[in-house]
Amino acid sequence: MKTLKYVLIVIAVIAVASCKKDQYYLFNDTARIQFGPDATRIYTASYNLADTLKPFTFYYELPSVTEDTVFFDIYAIGGVSKTDRGFTLKQEQVPNVSNAVAGTHYVAFTDPRVSKFYTIKAGTVHTSVPVIVLRDPSLKTNTVLLKLNVVSDGNFQLGEKSNLWRKVQLTDRLSQPASWNASFSQYYFGKYSTVKHAFMIQATGQKWDESFISVTSADYALLQYYIGVVKTALIDYNKNNPGNPLRDESGELVVIP
Amino acid sequence: MKHIYVLIGSGLLLLMASCAKDKTNFDLKPKEQITVTGLESSYTTISQKDHLTIDPTVTSTEPDANFDYLWGIYETNVQGAAPILDTIGRTKKLDYLVQQASKGWVLVFRVTNKKTKYAQYFTSAINVVTQFTRGWYVAKDDGSQADMDLFLTPVSLVPDSKVENVYSVVNGGKLNGKAQLLTYFTSYKSTVTGVLSNTKALFLTTDKDVSAMNMNTLKQIRNINTLFYQPPATAAPDAVFLGSSANYLVNDGQCYSIYAMSANSGQFGVRKMKDDANTPYHLSRYFLTSTSTDPYFFDDMSSSFLMGTATGAVMTAVTDDAVTAMPAQNNNKKMIYMGFKTTTYVASEYASYVNGYAIFQDKANPSLKILSQLNPNKTKMSMVNDTLKTTDKIFNATNYALLDGDENLIYFVTGNQVWSRNLSNKFEQLQFTAPAGEVITFIRHKKYTETGYTHNYVLIGTKLGDSYKVRMFIKSSGSLASSPEITLEGKGIVRDVMYMSPSVSEYTYSNSY
Repeated sequence: MKTLKYVLIVIAVIAVASCKKDQYYLFNDTARIQFGPDATRIYTASYNLADTLKPFTFYYELPSVTEDTVFFDIYAIGGVSKTDRGFTLKQEQVPNVSNAVAGTHYVAFTDPRVSKFYTIKAGTVHTSVPVIVLRDPSLKTNTVLLKLNVVSDGNFQLGEKSNLWRKVQLTDRLSQPASWNASFSQYYFGKYSTVKHAFMIQATGQKWDESFISVTSADYALLQYYIGVVKTALIDYNKNNPGNPLRDESGELVVIP
Repeated sequence: MKHIYVLIGSGLLLLMASCAKDKTNFDLKPKEQITVTGLESSYTTISQKDHLTIDPTVTSTEPDANFDYLWGIYETNVQGAAPILDTIGRTKKLDYLVQQASKGWVLVFRVTNKKTKYAQYFTSAINVVTQFTRGWYVAKDDGSQADMDLFLTPVSLVPDSKVENVYSVVNGGKLNGKAQLLTYFTSYKSTVTGVLSNTKALFLTTDKDVSAMNMNTLKQIRNINTLFYQPPATAAPDAVFLGSSANYLVNDGQCYSIYAMSANSGQFGVRKMKDDANTPYHLSRYFLTSTSTDPYFFDDMSSSFLMGTATGAVMTAVTDDAVTAMPAQNNNKKMIYMGFKTTTYVASEYASYVNGYAIFQDKANPSLKILSQLNPNKTKMSMVNDTLKTTDKIFNATNYALLDGDENLIYFVTGNQVWSRNLSNKFEQLQFTAPAGEVITFIRHKKYTETGYTHNYVLIGTKLGDSYKVRMFIKSSGSLASSPEITLEGKGIVRDVMYMSPSVSEYTYSNSY
């Protein structure tokens, strides 16, 4: 009986000791910095981890275009300041992928062309982070990944762990736009392939890039129109190429569901 | 043991303390009832001209009631936005200059007893109209260009005046082509009000163009070049009409649709394919639908029935139902006419079934003509055939009109005469002979119910020189009266007629040639 009493007491102590307050950062904590979604989405919980990866391709650009800019949103936590506060970005090497090279695939974060923008202005807590991507010839045959992290410095400590990084997937080939997501595949155009993507561009005369897909996805009637156009063009292509229907880069038949 | 007694004692004390005497008062007063008289169920007004003057009598079952009043108005048939109640008065008597756009609104009268704080709402439908929203519309042409006449009917179905060539007067020019069909939509999407919303739109289809007009102003919203995301290469419209959940447009024998159950821009989408092999097709101009069923078409190339669907890029091939006199696919016939007869709602299936008739001519043997009763059953169809004799009057008819419901008759034109044929016993009877020189250009059955404007007419349009007459006959057991009840007269060749009023909706008339 005594043993049972001790066991109960020990369990009660453990139960009490196991309670621990979650370590949320407070808004009046020290100044911290972290990435976040577009400013219009910061109060939408489902967007907390939006925009972590931005695919970018020079495929649609004229040959004369040699660089472009990808933007991310970054937020200061801990209140506003009366002075401008710079923040620091650093590339992280990701194992087992082709990592982007500063000066070749993107303008280094320390380069004054971009570093001057890496500042939270006085009286604000948000800014856009420009990453200048470069059109290196290697991107015609390769896709590279740029992972950028915020690092602590004299102005900012780090914010929430899950929002300390962003990625840019960079190429000069046709690539799957971020908005061609699982539901876009399931309900509209099916599985992504670059062959299907190129066929859609050719059949409709539209870019089918990030911006076009985002806008079109919000207009069901317009999307249905384009599905019909692509479907018709695909049927006609297969009819005109008997025994040689359109196949994707993996050899699978291209299908619009 | 002592501890247990203490615990049990404490528990009993708590139990006793939790007991409380039930002091509920069941002697409730009956609910207050506020009554309003003098507020009609609906009002029809002209914007910027008419005042809504209402002085209702308000009483309450509560003695010494002291009322507070609020009048408001909000829009109906809104899609994509939440209607807002606009306060238009705070006294018992309302005297308000109607300023709302011409369409349906709801007048709200809120009465609050200040003593009891009890409030009750009373509503009334408000139809805001313009001069264009009531009258007989006549679609006509001069052989190459189309227009419309509007016969104004402010007090009864009998017109008291006419706005001649009202289409070109409003739009600054006639519509290219020969007039074919008038159809009406109350939920067509446009931005005429500044935002994308449901618009009452009258469609005039010619053989070369389509004009979608704002019913309130008759101004053109879109034409054949702007009705599509991608205008078709050839402008040869056959019909625009409402089917279940979609608006359909047939141009150059090809089918297009707008899915009406989701947000859309009012533009027709991609040309629908006949099948998964995109086999070429050319639809007859005739179609069979009710507003609650998918439409049935006939492909003159393959002599096959097809069914349109609200969404999707491919039509459905109609197959044979269990017992049918003729195959629905590849029957080697050419369609001469098809029209709507009835629609039946089957409550247990939550589905409607349309029924119609068609006249076919055999492609190999032109002297073989068949009048077929069409009984579609979703994607299947059965046909009951009546092979026409060359001696039948209907054999060489040039124009047809099925009665919308009503008697089991089809009317047809042969020469300058209108005949009827009993669809049950094949009995043919002369109904009308046009005066010498007049050529019959149009025949259709129209019926409509509205207090003071109810009608059930067989309309016969004739042409003499450059003038037309539309005679409107009532019928008795299918026989036309000896003289018309109303006759409209104007310049041009009449092709279609529609009675319009603020109460007409896209479900009012059967859509059919």
